[in-house]
Amino acid sequence: MKKNLRWKVILVLIVIGLAIFLAYPPGEKIHLGLDLEGGMHLVLEVITEDALSIETDQEILRLEEELKKKKLEYKIVAKEGISRFSIQEINPAQEREISDLLDDNFRDWNYSVTGSTVSVSLKPAAVNYLKDLSVKQAQETIQNRVDELGLAEPTIQRQGTGNRIIVELPGVENPDRIKNIIKTTALLEWRLVLGGPAPDQETLLRDLGGEIPPDQEVLKGDPERTEGGYYLVSKVAPVTGQDLINARRSVDEWNNPAVLFTLNAEAGRRFYKFTSDNLNKPLSIILDGKIQEVATIRDRIPDRGVIHGTFTVEQAEDLALILRAGPLPATVKYLEERSIGPSLGKDSIRKGLSSMVIALILVIVFMVFYYRLSGFNAVAALTLNILIIMGILGYLGENAVLTLPGIAGIILTIGMAVDANVLVFERIREELSSGKNVWSSIASGFSRAFRTILDANVTTIIAAIFLFQFGTGPIRGFAVTLIIGITASMFTAVFVSRLIFDLTQSRKKKREKLSI
Amino acid sequence: MQIFKQPHFKFMKYKYIAFAFSGIIIISGIINITKGKGLTGGIDFTGGTLVQIRFKNPYPIADLRQAFRDAELGSPRLQRLEEEGEREYIIRTTSPELETEQDQEAHEIMGNRIVDVLTKGEDRSALARGLADLNNIDTDELTSILLPSFPENTQEIASMIINLRESDDFKGIIENYDQLLEAGIDQKVVDFLKEKTFMGSLSVKRRESVGPQVGSELKTRATQATIWALIGMLIYIGLRFKFAYGVSAILTLAHDVLFTLSIFSFTNREINLPVIAAVLTIVGYSLNDTIVIFDRVRDNIKAMRKHHFEDILNTSLNQTLSRTVITSGTTFLTVFALFVFGGEVINDFAFTMIIGVIIGTYSSIYQSCPLLFFWNKIFKPKKGMGK
Repeated sequence: MKKNLRWKVILVLIVIGLAIFLAYPPGEKIHLGLDLEGGMHLVLEVITEDALSIETDQEILRLEEELKKKKLEYKIVAKEGISRFSIQEINPAQEREISDLLDDNFRDWNYSVTGSTVSVSLKPAAVNYLKDLSVKQAQETIQNRVDELGLAEPTIQRQGTGNRIIVELPGVENPDRIKNIIKTTALLEWRLVLGGPAPDQETLLRDLGGEIPPDQEVLKGDPERTEGGYYLVSKVAPVTGQDLINARRSVDEWNNPAVLFTLNAEAGRRFYKFTSDNLNKPLSIILDGKIQEVATIRDRIPDRGVIHGTFTVEQAEDLALILRAGPLPATVKYLEERSIGPSLGKDSIRKGLSSMVIALILVIVFMVFYYRLSGFNAVAALTLNILIIMGILGYLGENAVLTLPGIAGIILTIGMAVDANVLVFERIREELSSGKNVWSSIASGFSRAFRTILDANVTTIIAAIFLFQFGTGPIRGFAVTLIIGITASMFTAVFVSRLIFDLTQSRKKKREKLSI
Repeated sequence: MQIFKQPHFKFMKYKYIAFAFSGIIIISGIINITKGKGLTGGIDFTGGTLVQIRFKNPYPIADLRQAFRDAELGSPRLQRLEEEGEREYIIRTTSPELETEQDQEAHEIMGNRIVDVLTKGEDRSALARGLADLNNIDTDELTSILLPSFPENTQEIASMIINLRESDDFKGIIENYDQLLEAGIDQKVVDFLKEKTFMGSLSVKRRESVGPQVGSELKTRATQATIWALIGMLIYIGLRFKFAYGVSAILTLAHDVLFTLSIFSFTNREINLPVIAAVLTIVGYSLNDTIVIFDRVRDNIKAMRKHHFEDILNTSLNQTLSRTVITSGTTFLTVFALFVFGGEVINDFAFTMIIGVIIGTYSSIYQSCPLLFFWNKIFKPKKGMGK
């Protein structure tokens, strides 16, 4: 064997070994996309305006307290928008003091005074900060909830610096349940019930002359948990979900599923005092603005309590989980969902692989039939090509998951990679028929076809690169396998095929016929 | 073996027929797209919902339509999976026109309603009685149901049952409890499950819902990918060829895209992301065929100085014919395998590849060279067509 041939053989063997090492065992090394493994891909948008609005509400409450404390006159603090409010009918003589108060304690806010009205609005920097913060918090909360679910390899990412969060959960068996868990805002509040239930708002407010008192509001009972109907409840909540330190599924005294919660020490003291002051009054538990349960306060409740309701075991479990993980700072909306059940994923793997095997067999049969022994050469190159694709996929791991379009890309590569062999073989045939001997025909066949092979591959790779750049999940998988496959074909169909010819023909130097 | 031994087909003789053929298809396609049925965008681009549902019992397509009509859900596009009889369907709806911010999740709600409408009353009453739907619960839920009565290896029993349900034998739906027994689940467990669970009438195997906002973004991205890929190819053509060849290659490429879209406008298929990917791949593929042929033309112009340009083109086409046919043949075989055996999810992609391979091969023979011929005839480049 010639010396440079030996090195070539060693190089090819190293490539084979490396590819096998990187790809074996394929079940572990090659990561499957959600479309094959089953699972869900969600794109959520955090409605950051919600967070701003909540912040504004809280600041209004805080301002009112301060104004009262400092005995400053005003008629009302009115919310004008998600991040704007106005203090109306102030005493012009106290304008200076109000300005000082706003300057000292409300630094994130801009204000201007016209006559007896002070218009207050959140500074743009604070707006941006709060929006950003709410997305971060939402991401964290979703991460907590998903962690609690104990799913394998979840990814929760923020899309750039925008309001979107991408959640990818492989192997999910019940997407609806997960979607509910992720989406529930889970703002839990305990508030006093001051009226109701009534079938509609008018009946509820009849005794009050149709007006809702300023410190109260009307809420509906959650139809899944209560009888429904309308209730009049206090606006303030002495304790909320923020005060929880733990929640878990349990059973109540009738052995029905319920959620047991524990408050932190400070909230426990508050709750104890609150329940003591309001003994024998009805108390409601409100989740995301819907009343879950109304019960009469029979005892002073310290730091522990139970949420009853017509739960199934699973619903109680999920509620406890959501409460443990904490509330979302704002509502979220699903912009996109793609979920594939495990059975369909398996089905796709099976169908994808069987079409790949069939395609491979068809091409092998054709090549061997058409090019005889040289066909085997092409088959060897093709096999190595597939091996290299697998090896690189194994090496890239999570960065290049195998998707169903990815399998399609491999299948397409099978068809296209032999193109390089076909170009070479056709050239060799032409050279042979023009009367050249086997050796020089092979040599000029390879060298003359090379330019064309390069051209052919460049055009396909151009398309694949832009598909990768702009494509989403599964399509990227297609672009990846196609790019790897086409690039590898330059090595396998040119370098390796030539080497095989060199090796098989070198021993019979005077051979006049080539099986092609 | 050789398919063509020294072929001498007079391809160029058919150039007018080929132009007329392509012209008719493309013009009628464009008319159909602009004035007629138009192209159906998949939910990737329009926004909307796709739900793939498997039923426990056969559900005739007419009943399905009626159910949607009764629920005033309009008429979603229904596709029956032939191999599954009347048990599995893909249901697609596009997003309604949005009027308010609130409707942003309309696609989500629509998906829920579709599933809701098709859920049988008996399922609902079983759920109301507190039973769990064995065809829709996950391993966690099943574990917590089994835990009180089978505290030992609960997890194993639960995952065995769920894995069974998701296996190729059941494809997501277990029909009755006997099947569990046959599969080797303990009699006691099955008896317990009979009390606590029921076999729901349907299972959602795939669900895609795309909001209108994301839909229009995906459309933009697909458009960008297409435009950039085409620009990339144009640059490559520009670097690689003289003007006349470049123009002919670009026209051939435009022909391929228009032809494919025309065919699409006459089918019921949707244009979705995989279809765009397939079209771009095909464009690259067809271009590569064209390049191989043009390379030959250039070589032959030097070798056949005294011949007529049309003869040179014919000779070049004949010389590259074997390669064109064989490569198209192998590629066709592979995408055909994908089309037949690849399943529903990849079917649009495979279909596009199949028609694309045919169009690409046809165009590189019957469009690229005739275009070059006419360019030469009309503009008569002074330096000739060689490089």
